[in-house]
Amino acid sequence: MAVRSQAPEVNPEVALDARLVGIGVWLFLAADLFFFAGWWFSYFYLRALNNNQAWIIQGLTRPNKAYGLVVLLLAIGTAVVYWATTRVAVRSLLFQLLAPVSLVLGLAACLFQGYEMWHLGFGLTQGGYPSVFVGLTGSWLIQFLGAVGWLATVVAQYRPARDTVLRPHSAASFSWILLFLAAVGAINYILLYLVA
Amino acid sequence: MVAEASVSERRLSIPNNPITGVVLAIPAYFAGVWLGNLFGLNDDQNTGVILGYVFATAAFLIGVGFLNYPLERLFGWDVSPVSVPNENRGIGRFFRLSLDHKVIGMQYLITILIMLLLGGIGAMFIRTSLLTPDSSITPPGQYIMLIGLHSVMMIFITSAVIVGPFGNYLVPLMIGARRMAFPRLEALSFWVVPPAAVILLAAIFWGGFPTGWTGYAPLSEQAGQGMDSYIVGFGLIAVALVSSGVNMLATIIGMRAPGMTWTRLPIFVWGIFTTSILGLLAAPVLAAALVQLALDRTTQTSFFLAANGGSNYLWQNLFWFFGHPEVYIFILPAFGIIMEIVPHFARKPLWGYRTAVVGLFGVALLSWFVWQHHLFVSGIAPVLRPFYMLSTELISIPTGIIFLVTLGTLWRARVWFTVPLLFCLGFLFNFLIGGISGVYLSDVPTDVTLHGSYFSMAHFHYTIMGGEIFALMAACYYWLPKMTGKMLSPTIGRIHFWWMFIAFNSTFFPLFIAGILNMPRRVSVYNPALQGLNDWVTISAYFLFGSMVLFAANVIYSLFFVSRPALANPWHARSLEWQVPTPVPARNFERVPVIVAGPYDYGDPNARPVADLGGLVGATGGG
Repeated sequence: MAVRSQAPEVNPEVALDARLVGIGVWLFLAADLFFFAGWWFSYFYLRALNNNQAWIIQGLTRPNKAYGLVVLLLAIGTAVVYWATTRVAVRSLLFQLLAPVSLVLGLAACLFQGYEMWHLGFGLTQGGYPSVFVGLTGSWLIQFLGAVGWLATVVAQYRPARDTVLRPHSAASFSWILLFLAAVGAINYILLYLVA
Repeated sequence: MVAEASVSERRLSIPNNPITGVVLAIPAYFAGVWLGNLFGLNDDQNTGVILGYVFATAAFLIGVGFLNYPLERLFGWDVSPVSVPNENRGIGRFFRLSLDHKVIGMQYLITILIMLLLGGIGAMFIRTSLLTPDSSITPPGQYIMLIGLHSVMMIFITSAVIVGPFGNYLVPLMIGARRMAFPRLEALSFWVVPPAAVILLAAIFWGGFPTGWTGYAPLSEQAGQGMDSYIVGFGLIAVALVSSGVNMLATIIGMRAPGMTWTRLPIFVWGIFTTSILGLLAAPVLAAALVQLALDRTTQTSFFLAANGGSNYLWQNLFWFFGHPEVYIFILPAFGIIMEIVPHFARKPLWGYRTAVVGLFGVALLSWFVWQHHLFVSGIAPVLRPFYMLSTELISIPTGIIFLVTLGTLWRARVWFTVPLLFCLGFLFNFLIGGISGVYLSDVPTDVTLHGSYFSMAHFHYTIMGGEIFALMAACYYWLPKMTGKMLSPTIGRIHFWWMFIAFNSTFFPLFIAGILNMPRRVSVYNPALQGLNDWVTISAYFLFGSMVLFAANVIYSLFFVSRPALANPWHARSLEWQVPTPVPARNFERVPVIVAGPYDYGDPNARPVADLGGLVGATGGG
């Protein structure tokens, strides 16, 4: 492959860059964990208080579990496909083929989630649960959309002497962000669709 | 090679500077307002105002140049990072997106000082209003607006006033690095601050907001559009805290020079390290709360409306989970400054270095377990009160350790009484009063009596202004010679210190008495019997403001009129930042230095130089 033949030698600056990107990703994930922890705290707090018996008012149309599952599977698919290919090697044919697949899965997850939020089936003023659903799912969607946007740039940079090839560690570290968001999506699914 | 491969034929040709940013931001604001009003679920324009601010901020950042990198990535152009800044020395570098940590530090310093001036003017208006016990000077609505603007502006400032200018400028120099870990992130942490300040001030056009800095619901739900300024402005500060935290921590963890072991790390860097942990983890919780408040105000969700399944206590819990670590975000870097400066002028090693580090981490750790003491009078379950009282009182132990480390360093030292050291001593005096009064407020019975009074107001001004701002002044007199290449006048500096120290204590100590006499905060009307006390405080506050004007005059006088060049190491200090030339070269060090000794080995004539710098200015020995 032309891409592989032009890969540069690793120099100390690249090694330093790899170390910093690795540290930076984990620090960002720690911050993001606290962001979602704030939402999960809100979920449990309002659910436990159930003020005015209005956590979930009677007759509220719940979000469709199957639909939520589709979004979740697409998100997990995005993350796992990308993560697995980076484990093999960023400068490989497999990555070149599967990273765009991951991108398509991610875009589909965003579209499905966006569609669901546009057709909620309940009003936002109908209690605590609808508030948390919209806020938590919306926050997740915006972050996942941002991650998919970055994934698009990773794919676009897969060319000779471009960033994905020159700094494969950066592309590989990014997979942890996708995995994290997929895990958050799974927790949200359990909380919002299964046990609410 | 990464750096060589970064030369690109194709770049976006937008003229990136703040003027472009402002030009883009104005129409973006109106576009956001229009869209918000078109799709908003209620008719009170909150959606439009919030969208307008968000669009304007995004457009400003695009104009400054933050979209170039992601767009060039997306187009598949060459974006390999330029790893080491190599910029010219022109004044223009301070007015555009720069990736040089020294430029960003100076940008922060100027911006923060301007904001400090605005916040100080707000304080003068507040004190002027209190010259009379009725609301004849300032009507109650305007008074509470002044309180809100002053408090939030000062919180913005104090969140960044040390980490922003001095953390960004000094941390790479102190650890032997040639750059920051993530320069774009570092630049972002700065460039969101000016929009945050402008958006906050824009609240004036909407009549301000009535909640003060705490933004308590349900008042914040009912407030006018000025509250939207609070939400977006505070949100931007949360972005700054997170991006700064990621950058600082990655730099300190990953970019220390060979030989810069954890036990040789300057104590100021430890202060920045612990602060960054708090900012990184606390600010996202605030961001979540702000999103909830914005949703309540725009889409009519009910996070904080009890009648509809929400709870106003949810806001209080989320806010103070951020808010209490936030006060240590203010003070931990100040501790770092004091413990950094004192050994250099005591010419003694920092007494109990490792204990001091443990103290910093102790404060940082305990700060996560105290937030409900802010809810003692809000309806917290009584069974929880003893735990939070105890955990709050426990914080006095690591804080006391830090205090004793500083005093132990001064003990029997032959002290060089420079202006920076005077401010350090002022810090110790003020913070002692602030800290002890805090112990009273952590105690449930006392807190129930004094909560919401001028006692708590005096307490936090003693810790923040008497503590952090005095540390800021110490840092300015100590490090500005390195940052600007000019010495500040020590004579004016001494007058400034004594003026500020006396005026500060004359302003805020009487407020403890006013608080004990039940004078409430945030109210412009008070018992006429307290007018004499309040007039004294107001006149003292004018003097305090005057001392800050004197500081500004000293900076202008010393930089532009006297222009006394600073030596590379005017304080004969050992730490690494003083071993490089003044002005500091673009790449800091000719090559990455090798650290061979600690920064505080004073008093030992056989102490090794702090580092092998490979031909730069000679490193100071231990004398």
